Amino acid sequence: MAEDAFETEALSYIDALYRTALRMTRSEADAEDLVQETYIRALRFREQFTPGTNLKAWLFRILTNTFINAYRKRSRQPQTAELDDVDEFSLYRRMSQETPGSNSSDPEKEFLDGIVSSEVKEALAALPEKFRTTVLLDVEGFSYKEIAEMVGVPIGTVMSRLHRGRKFLQQRLFDLARERGIAALRTSGPRPD
Amino acid sequence: MDCDDCLEKLYAFLDQELGSNERKQVASHLEGCTDCGDNLAFEERFLKVIRDCGTSDVAPAELRRRVAERLRSDVPPTTA
Repeated sequence: MAEDAFETEALSYIDALYRTALRMTRSEADAEDLVQETYIRALRFREQFTPGTNLKAWLFRILTNTFINAYRKRSRQPQTAELDDVDEFSLYRRMSQETPGSNSSDPEKEFLDGIVSSEVKEALAALPEKFRTTVLLDVEGFSYKEIAEMVGVPIGTVMSRLHRGRKFLQQRLFDLARERGIAALRTSGPRPD
Repeated sequence: MDCDDCLEKLYAFLDQELGSNERKQVASHLEGCTDCGDNLAFEERFLKVIRDCGTSDVAPAELRRRVAERLRSDVPPTTA
C-alpha cells in the first residue's frame, strides 16, 4: 500500500476515533492522549496491517486495547456492575402504560424527538465501562464479531452487553425526559395549576 | 415464534446479525403482529437517535494537525 494511501486513510478516521475515545474516557484530555497513543501504535505496527483489509477496524482494535489496558491498570477494583435489573425494562411498554392523561397523541415520537445529544452523552457516561465500550463500538458500525475480537470476549457476551447497555440508556433517557417534563411522560393525576 | 421470542431477538434482527432462518422467523412474526411491529419501529428509531447523537463530535483541530504531522513524517521501513 502506498505510504500516502495508508496515512490519508488512517487520518480520515480521526473524528470517529476521537469521539469514541471521548465517550470511553469521559475526559477531553484523556481522549486526546488515547487518540495520539493509538496513532503512535498504528505506525509502530503498520507492517502488521494487511493492505486492502479493514483499516478502520484495525485502528479501533488498537484504540480499544489501549483503552482497556490503561483502564484496567487505573482501576483497583474488578468491574462488578452487571446491570442485571435492566433486562426486563421495556421503554416502549412503559410509555404505552404512562400515556393515560397525556397531552400527546404520540408520546413515543415526542420522547424520541425530544432526546438531545447532551442527554445521550450523559446517559452514555453513566454506563459502566464494559457496556459503554460495547455500545460505542456498535455506534461506529462494527459487527458483533468485530466487537468481540476488539474487546476479547465471545459474541454472546457482546450481544448481552449491547442488549443491557441499550436498555440502560433507555431507562436513563426516560428519566432525563421525565425531569425535562415532557407532557407525554407526565403521570396521570391532577395537573398542578 | 411467539412475541417473547421475537422481542428477545429484536436487537439482533435490527443489527442484521441473525442467521437467515431466524431472520425469516422474526420477519414472519412481525408481519402478523402489530404490537411487535410497533415495538420494532420504536427500537429502530431509538437506535438511530443514539447513533446520530453518538457520531456528532469531531477531533479538535490541533489534535488533527499533530496527528497529521506525525503520519506525514513516518517513514516505513523499505522491504528488501
